[in-house]
Amino acid sequence: MASLFKDPAKLSAYRDRRFNGSQEEFEQALLTATTVYIGNMSFYTTEEQVYELFSRAGEIKKIIMGLDKNSKTPCGFCFVLYYSREDAEDAVKYISGTILDDRPIRVDFDWGFVEGRQWGRGRSGGQVRDEYRTDYDPGRGGYGKLVQKELEAQRQLVDYGAGSLGSFPPVMAPHYGRHGGGHGHGGSYRHGRDYHRKRHRDDDHYARESSKRNSDHESRRASDHDARPEKNPRFRESGDSDEEEDDDRKRRS
Amino acid sequence: MSSWRNLLLRIGDKSSEYSSSSDFKDHIETCFGALRRELGHSSAEILSFLLQCAEQLPHKIPLYGTLIGLLNLEDEDFVKQIVENTQNSFQDALDSGNCDGIRILMRFLTALMCSKVLQPTSLVVVFETLLSSAAITVDEEKGNPSWQARADFYVICILSCLPWGGAELAEQVPEEIERVLVGIQAYLSIRRHTSDSGLSFFEEDESGGDVEKDFLEDLWERIQVLSSNGWKVESVPRPHLSFEAQLVAGKSHEFGPISCPEQPELPSTISAVAYGKQKHDAELKYPQRMRRLNIFPASKTEPIDRFVVEESLLDVLLFFNGCRKECAAFMVGLPVPFRYEYLMAETIFSQLLLLPQPPFKPIYYTLVIMDLCKALPGAFPAVVAGAVRALFDKIADLDMECRTRLILWFSHHLSNFQFIWPWEEWAYVLDLPKWAPQRVFVQEVLEREVRLSYWDKIKQSIENAPALEELLPPKGGPNFKYSGADDQEKTEQEQALSAELSNKVKGRQSAREIILWIEENVYPIHGQEITLSVVIQTLLDIGSKSFTHLITVLERYGQVMAKLCSDQDKQVMLISEVGSYWKNNAQMTAIAIDRMMGYRLISNLAIVRWVFSPENIEQFHISDRPWEVLRNAVSKTYNRITDLRKEISSLKKSVVSAEEAASKAKADLEAAESKLTLVEGEPVLGENPTKLKHLKSVAEKTKEETVSMHDSLEAKEALLARALDENEVLFLSLYKNFSNVLMERLPDASRDGTLQSLKSVNGDSMAVDIEEPSTMEVDDENERPKKSQSNGGKTTNGYNVREKEQWCLSTLGYVKAFSRQYASEIWPHIEKLDAEVFTEDAHPLFRKAVYSGLCRLSNEL
Repeated sequence: MASLFKDPAKLSAYRDRRFNGSQEEFEQALLTATTVYIGNMSFYTTEEQVYELFSRAGEIKKIIMGLDKNSKTPCGFCFVLYYSREDAEDAVKYISGTILDDRPIRVDFDWGFVEGRQWGRGRSGGQVRDEYRTDYDPGRGGYGKLVQKELEAQRQLVDYGAGSLGSFPPVMAPHYGRHGGGHGHGGSYRHGRDYHRKRHRDDDHYARESSKRNSDHESRRASDHDARPEKNPRFRESGDSDEEEDDDRKRRS
Repeated sequence: MSSWRNLLLRIGDKSSEYSSSSDFKDHIETCFGALRRELGHSSAEILSFLLQCAEQLPHKIPLYGTLIGLLNLEDEDFVKQIVENTQNSFQDALDSGNCDGIRILMRFLTALMCSKVLQPTSLVVVFETLLSSAAITVDEEKGNPSWQARADFYVICILSCLPWGGAELAEQVPEEIERVLVGIQAYLSIRRHTSDSGLSFFEEDESGGDVEKDFLEDLWERIQVLSSNGWKVESVPRPHLSFEAQLVAGKSHEFGPISCPEQPELPSTISAVAYGKQKHDAELKYPQRMRRLNIFPASKTEPIDRFVVEESLLDVLLFFNGCRKECAAFMVGLPVPFRYEYLMAETIFSQLLLLPQPPFKPIYYTLVIMDLCKALPGAFPAVVAGAVRALFDKIADLDMECRTRLILWFSHHLSNFQFIWPWEEWAYVLDLPKWAPQRVFVQEVLEREVRLSYWDKIKQSIENAPALEELLPPKGGPNFKYSGADDQEKTEQEQALSAELSNKVKGRQSAREIILWIEENVYPIHGQEITLSVVIQTLLDIGSKSFTHLITVLERYGQVMAKLCSDQDKQVMLISEVGSYWKNNAQMTAIAIDRMMGYRLISNLAIVRWVFSPENIEQFHISDRPWEVLRNAVSKTYNRITDLRKEISSLKKSVVSAEEAASKAKADLEAAESKLTLVEGEPVLGENPTKLKHLKSVAEKTKEETVSMHDSLEAKEALLARALDENEVLFLSLYKNFSNVLMERLPDASRDGTLQSLKSVNGDSMAVDIEEPSTMEVDDENERPKKSQSNGGKTTNGYNVREKEQWCLSTLGYVKAFSRQYASEIWPHIEKLDAEVFTEDAHPLFRKAVYSGLCRLSNEL
C-alpha cells in the first residue's frame, strides 16, 4: 500500500549465483516465490522454534535447515516454504530484522528450494560468511573458520603468548538487522544452550580470575578457547550418532 | 528522486529536505516554490504524485490542501484537473465500496474547501448526497435496513470531515451545515443502535443500566462537543490560515454531482435469517474501523482530539504496513501539541485485539510495538507494560480470542526483549486455582516462550519468581511406550514388535512391505489395539527428532497409518496415540495432528471427536492444548476452501479470455472464408489455402482450450461443492459437541440466566478446593498495589469462581470465538444448524454465545 516509500526495484540485495537463468528470470522467481530464506540464525535454533515463529505469518508447508556439508549439523540458515505468496510476503515484512533465539534474523524471498541448496557453500562446510568472520559469535560456532584454523596453528606453536591475541581482536560484526544492535550479547548466560554444561573450562577460569570476569569477558573468550567450533547440544537430542547417515538420506528424500 | 518529489513527500516532517525547520509555513513556502518552478514542464507528474501523497499520507492532507490552494493562484487549469481527478476517484471509491478511499478523499475535499479551491456548498452537496442515501437505507419501506453498516459508514465519513473543516463551514455556510447536522440527528433517531456485543473486547456486565454507545453515537457526541467549542481542534493543523490573505483570491472550482450506489435489494423472502445473512454481508463490506479499548485512566485529551489522533495512527498503520522505519517515525511524530503515548498504545492494542479480525495479521502489530519501544525507549516500554498489567487485571473478562492473541503477542514481544519481565508481580497466581484465568494466562505465555526459545532459558528468565517453574510446560521429550528404558508395562512381545518395525524402517523397507508384514504377522496375532499402538508409536518415534523427520515419516509411511486407520473410530485412536506420545509437548502434538490432517490420514471430524474426548474436555478451562488442535483443524479446512475459491475465480477469468480468443478466431475464420480471392484470374470464395488452414487450426485449438477450461472449472466447482458440504458436516459436529458438553455441565439455574450469574456463583455454599490460603492474604504479602485505573470495575484478585463455572465460562467463550471467526462460513449453513443444533432444547447460554459470535440479533432467539 505504501508505494511511496518503497523501491520496487529492490527485491533482494542478494543474487544467488547458482540460479540458472537471467537476472529477469531470477527477479520473476522472487516475485512469485512462496519460499523465504532465513539468515543469521544461531546454529542451535531448532526447526520447532522456526515453526513457532514463522507459522505466525501463515501455514507452513516445509522447513529445510541449512546444514554444514561436512558435519551435517545446522549451520545458521534455513528455508521456510509457505503455501501462499501472501504469507511469504508477510514473513519477509514482519519477521526480518526481529529476534529469534537472541539473534536478529534476516528474512528474504527465495527463488525456490532445490535439492542441494541445504548445504553450506563455504570451503569448510558451513556458510561462506562463517569462513572469513573475525568476530567471536558463540551462536555460530565461535570464530570464523579461517580464524579458527589460524588460532589452532598458533596453539600448536607451543607459545601461547599474548602476541597472538592482537591479531584477532574480538570485533563485533555489524548486525544485519537495523534494529538488532545490543541484543543477544548481554551476559554470558545468554550465549549458548547449556552454556554451563558445555563450558566447564570457562567456569574454572572465572573462578580464578573473577575480578576481570565482566570487564573483558569477550577478550577472554578470544584468548583462551576456542579455536574449535562449539558443539550443538540441542540438535537431534534423541539421536544416535550412527543414525547420522540415515538422517542425511531422509533430508534428501 | 527529484527534489520536488522529496519536498512533497517530506512536507511537515523534521527532515533534511526542510533543513530541520519545523514550521509548517516555511515548509509550504519552500515546497510551493519548488513546485511552481517545475509546473511548466512536469505538471502531469506533479499532479499524479501530489494526489498519491494526499491519499497515502492522509495526516498531511491539510498541508497538501494549502499547497494546492497556492498552486490555484498560479495555474487554475492545473488545480481544475486535480479537482476533476479527485471527483473521478471519489466516484470510483463509492461504486466499489472502497472505504478507505471514500473516507480519505472526503477529508481531502474538506482541505480543498479550506484553501478556497472548492466551494463550501459543493462539499455540503456531497454530504447531503451521502446522508440521503443513508436515510433511505434505514427506511423500512423504501430501503433495506440490513445494510445499515453502509449507511452508518457514510454518516461517519461526513462527521469525520468536521474536525478538518467544521470551522470554515460554520463560518461560510452556517445554515447549510446546520441542515446537515439536523439531518444526521434525524438519521440517528431512525437507525438501530448497533448492539454487537459479540465484538467487544470484554464480556460486558449485562446488569449495568447504561448501554454502551456504538461508534457512530460516540462520534456524534464528540462532534457536538466540538461544535459547542466553536469547532476548535488542537490536533488538526490549520496551515491555510497563514495564507488566508492570498488564498481568498483563488478561483473556486466546480465539483460535479456524485452518486451513491443503488440500495442493495431486499432478499426475495423476508425472514430473520435472510435479514441476518444480508446484515452479515454488509458488515463484512463496511467493517467497523476500530473499537476503543479503554485500559488506561481517561486522559484530559479533548474527545475530538482523541478521535483525530486515532484516525491518524490508523492511517499510518494502514499505509505504512511493511515500511518499518517510516511507520514508526510517523507514529511517533504526529503534528499534535500534546503527548499521546497512552493513546497510541491503546490504539495499537485495540487493533491487535480487534474482533472479528484486525486489518492485518497480529504479527504486524507485534512488530510495530517492538519498533515503537525502540523509537521511544524512555517512554513506550513502560506504557506497553502498563497495558499488559491492565489487560492482565481484567483477563477473566477478556474475550477468549483476545486472550489467545494477547498470549501470542506477549510471548513474541518478550522474545525480542531478552525475555525480561517482572514475573514476581504475578507470582501470586500460583495461589489461585489452576483454572483461574490469570494463572492460565501466565502458563500459556510461558509455554509459548519455551516454544520460541528453550526450556532452560525460560526457566532462567523467571528467576525473580522461581516458584513459577511449576507453570512451565514439562521439559518436552517424547513419551515412547516402547522405549524399553523405564518400567513401562509393555510386554516384551510388543517391545520386540516395535524394534522389528524400527529395523524395517531403518532397512528402508517400503510402505507396501510393511503393510504386508502387519497384515500377515502382526494384526492377526495381536489384534487391532496393540497393532495400532505399536505401529503408530514406533513411527512417531522415528519421526520425533524434528519437524522434517516427522514429515519424512508421514510421507514415506503415511500409507501404513492410513491402511491401519481407515475409519473414524481408528483415526480417533490414532490421534490419541499422538496425544500420548507427545503428552509433554503441546507444540509437537499440534504439529503432528495438523500434518496428519494435511496428508489426509485423519479427517477434521476425527479431530473434533478427539478434542471432545473426556480427557480433553477436562482441559478446556486450564489449557490451550485442545483448543490449539481444534483451531488448526478448522482453519485448515477453511484454508482449503479459500484456496479452491481462489482457483475457481482465476479459472473463471481464464475461461472468459479463452472464450474471447475462441470467438475472435472463429470470426477471423469466417471473415476469411467469405472473402473472395482471385485464383488464376477467377474469383473464388475463401482466402488463400495456407492462411485458411492456419486460421482453421487456430479456431479449433482455441475452441478446445475453452472446452478444457470449462472442464477444469467444473471439476473445481464440484470439489468446492463437496468441500462446502463437508464444512457443513464439520460445523454440525462441532456445534453438537459443544451443545452436548455444555448441556451436561451448565447449571440448570442458569437456564434463564446470564454469564454474570455464572460468575457470581461463588464458593459460599460449597467448599472451594483451593488448597492455598485465600487470595486476600496473598495480596497483603506481596503488597500488590490495587490498580486504580482498571475501568472494568471488578478487581480480579478476589478470584473465586468455582471450577465447574469457570469451565462453562471458558467453553462458552470459545463457542463465541469460533462462531465469530468463521461467521462467513457458518451463515450459509444456518438453516440446517438452526434445525439440528440451535433448537429450543439447546441451552440458552449456548445459543446466546453462538448468536453473539455471529452478531445475530438477539431478538431472534
